[in-house]
Amino acid sequence: MILPEYYEFCCRVKTVAGHRALEKISPELVRMNAKKPMIITDKGVAGAGLIKIVSSAISSSKGGKTSVGAVYDNVPPDSDLKIVQEVAKLYRSKDCDSIIAVGGGSVLDTAKGVNILVSLGGDDLMQYAGSGAVKKKLKPMIAVPTTSGTGSEMTLVAVIADHERNVKLPFVSYFLLPDVAVLDSRMTRTLPPALTTSTAIDALTHACEAYTCMAKNPVSDSTALEAIRLIAGNVLNVVKKPGDLEGRLALANGSALAGMAFSNSMVGLVHMLGHATGGACGVPHGVCMSIYLPYGLEYNLHKTSHLTAELLLPLAGPEVYAATPKAERATKAIAVIRKLNQDLHEATQGRHARFLKEVIDRDGKQMVPKDALPTIANTAMGDATQFYNPEDLDFNDCMMVLEHAWEGIPLDLKKVKKGGKGIKF
Amino acid sequence: MMHYNKYPEIKPGLKLLKRMYVVTMLFVFGRAFQAVSRVDRGAKEVFAKMPDDFVLDFCVVPNGPHMVVGKDEKGRIKYMGWNPAGKKVTIYMKIKNMDAAFRMLTFQESSCTATSRDRLIVDGDLPTACGVLHIMDLLEVLLLPKFLAKLGVKRYPKWSQLSPVRKWTSRLLTYVRLVA
Repeated sequence: MILPEYYEFCCRVKTVAGHRALEKISPELVRMNAKKPMIITDKGVAGAGLIKIVSSAISSSKGGKTSVGAVYDNVPPDSDLKIVQEVAKLYRSKDCDSIIAVGGGSVLDTAKGVNILVSLGGDDLMQYAGSGAVKKKLKPMIAVPTTSGTGSEMTLVAVIADHERNVKLPFVSYFLLPDVAVLDSRMTRTLPPALTTSTAIDALTHACEAYTCMAKNPVSDSTALEAIRLIAGNVLNVVKKPGDLEGRLALANGSALAGMAFSNSMVGLVHMLGHATGGACGVPHGVCMSIYLPYGLEYNLHKTSHLTAELLLPLAGPEVYAATPKAERATKAIAVIRKLNQDLHEATQGRHARFLKEVIDRDGKQMVPKDALPTIANTAMGDATQFYNPEDLDFNDCMMVLEHAWEGIPLDLKKVKKGGKGIKF
Repeated sequence: MMHYNKYPEIKPGLKLLKRMYVVTMLFVFGRAFQAVSRVDRGAKEVFAKMPDDFVLDFCVVPNGPHMVVGKDEKGRIKYMGWNPAGKKVTIYMKIKNMDAAFRMLTFQESSCTATSRDRLIVDGDLPTACGVLHIMDLLEVLLLPKFLAKLGVKRYPKWSQLSPVRKWTSRLLTYVRLVA
């Protein structure tokens, strides 16, 4: 455990978790003086009947003083500024007073963007892009994640695409923290195996990077380690037995804890490349995380091997940890993650991608051609997460990592340019 | 017991020496931003990616000092002085207090560590802020002796990243423009 000279930690999201947690939505809205929430979701979630479950939980609540004002169920997987404007228009026309976001990362981030516009006025979300531009309390917002991955229900960040510029815009403000996060096992029960795995590894990445990057602190360390234990211990079982509600709830909690951790200690190289790959090639975020996680840990190994070694305990359990010599624990932890990726690949009949060249879209077309790597590396250089990564990266470093990740071969550690130990963290 | 309203207000000390040092360093960095943007190709590439209306207020809160740097109407980087009043600032980079600024500008703490410890706050476009921090790292490498610069950057560039010819040419020309 590293105790920094100074750190800040803030997570004021009320967490409501359980197998019947949805029934608490209505009382929570009443507590926040909201009566007419708008539900924001996507077609997949609505098609799986989850909105019916949420609506029925709201209407069946005792002393029900709330009713759903509008439902927008057309948020695309890679939501952008135009969608946010469209949803904000509907919110205003139906005179809603709060937001319930039911979905994965795209839905939750879109809802945060909508909340900015409907609370602060205007149609230009761009003026609130970046860090600290949202300076006022927003409308009440309840986040109901239907994937166990983004942790967006616990974070102060929203990432929304600008498809005209082919970039993903980060919005960072404490006012973007939802008021309530509702974790209910029913919401992830129907999640397909490939999505379950990629989102779970996304959450695992949040926790691993939170623990090994520069802004780590004792509080985020605690939540990160517990998140890793919950995710690593349950993801394979849940893929094999999708109806395992205990496992589903464990993953949801792991994801929320990981979100809590990385929202306060930020992330590094894995997200830097992941954001860029998503922006340049449209690869889903969770898929990028699954691929890049071992590479990110390998790249930083010369500076963070002592921290990566500590990940072995929650990743593999006490027996493996105790049986592994101290000097080998860091590389063993990375090997365990690669093995987990391989197991998930097999358990999903190959749908869980392990490296970039095997990522395909719905039409079977390769999503990341090798000639796209320079574009990805260039985009990555503008990503703020690089400052939290323990080792420096330039364009050539990004290319080196990307080429290894494309081929699916472990990083050649001799190619990593090692900085001095002047930087403390 | 005295009512809390009657307690005298405690005002922070002026920390005059630290303030003078920070003012001087921000002045030097401001001019160095302008200088390096004219002489180093790496810096030119970074600045070229910044928006045309880029105006940075790099300051210590709550009472300054400030360093205002931005693009002029011809798109060239210009040091715009210490006073942000009347300037259309597009990005703020704020150091939380004078002590943190002193630590950072005496290279006891790198800009990355300062960011990680919540001492350096960005209000504005994050890719632009990344560019600014890259330029600051480059300036530390160019302006400072290696043993000092190594304290301020994560990785002191090797020859393959920054050739001795480029380093010494950019160093010399930046210094000349800085004092001229």
